Amino acid sequence: MKDRGATDQELADKWEVQLRKGCLELAILVALWDGKLYGLEILRRLESDSDLIVSEGTVYPLLSRLKALELVRSEWVESDAGHPRKYYALTPAGKQRVREMAGMWTRFSSSMSKLLAPLSRGR
Amino acid sequence: MAIPENAEQKIDLYLSKLRRRLAGVNPQIIREIADELRGHILDKIAAAGEVTPAAVDATLARLGDPEALADEYLTDNLLARATASRSPLRILHSLLRWASLSLAGFLVLTASVMGYFLGIVFVLVAVLRPFHPQTAGLWLLPGTAGDPEFSLRLGFGTVPAAGRDLLGWWIIPVGLIGGCGVVTLTTRLAIACAQRYRRSRVPARG
Repeated sequence: MKDRGATDQELADKWEVQLRKGCLELAILVALWDGKLYGLEILRRLESDSDLIVSEGTVYPLLSRLKALELVRSEWVESDAGHPRKYYALTPAGKQRVREMAGMWTRFSSSMSKLLAPLSRGR
Repeated sequence: MAIPENAEQKIDLYLSKLRRRLAGVNPQIIREIADELRGHILDKIAAAGEVTPAAVDATLARLGDPEALADEYLTDNLLARATASRSPLRILHSLLRWASLSLAGFLVLTASVMGYFLGIVFVLVAVLRPFHPQTAGLWLLPGTAGDPEFSLRLGFGTVPAAGRDLLGWWIIPVGLIGGCGVVTLTTRLAIACAQRYRRSRVPARG
């Protein structure tokens, strides 16, 4: 039988994974806010600008889905590396979606911060 | 950057497994997926500096199992397209592919086929009622074990004498509205299940 400490840690890990999953779509769309990027650049942006480290195989199918939903568009661009790269950019619908999601995130985050305030006061 | 032949073979093997799993998808889409992933792999190897078999293995390992990756594409793409179109035919096509990938997909497909079948039969009964006013409708029939059973009849053939037509001409509005409602509900439930399944499968590292 597992000890209580290990179970609590597993639950905490699971919760953190779920939290990251929920943010991934918004994070990818926001990464494209300033302009077009290719897959690896999006991954690097997520790693450098956030704590949201995701497995590499996750981002590409998700980009494909965002494209199917017409939230992003893509184009192939020749590169110095010797192979073309697929660049992604937000569509007008994608920009609208980012604004909506960012608004929701801000309201949610603000509500949670209020709830969590007693912890920062050391009670 | 020159890639050693054995490294190329590893990449080709990885991508061929992925392509095989994607069989049935539009060939142009498969080509784009493979080209994009090849570009990713080459960029990662170049960033690592020296091209060694270990560096290639590590890069491929970070992308994950090729068949699992293909499944992510299949569920993500098919379900996204189904969600965007809301067409029962497109949804059934997507669910058929999903059913070949997982038990969850099979269960949702089975439930959806039953839902669409019931909805279509309701609409057909309503449409056929004017042509078969004596026999088309929702009937309560004496069952074989003595328990009465409900029967939606399109009006072809005869109805047992002991049967009772429950709705009469009301079957037309009830059938049309109810049938369309069941089809709509089935579509929404199928999409909701697909979205829930997709969310539960997005793996995160760290």
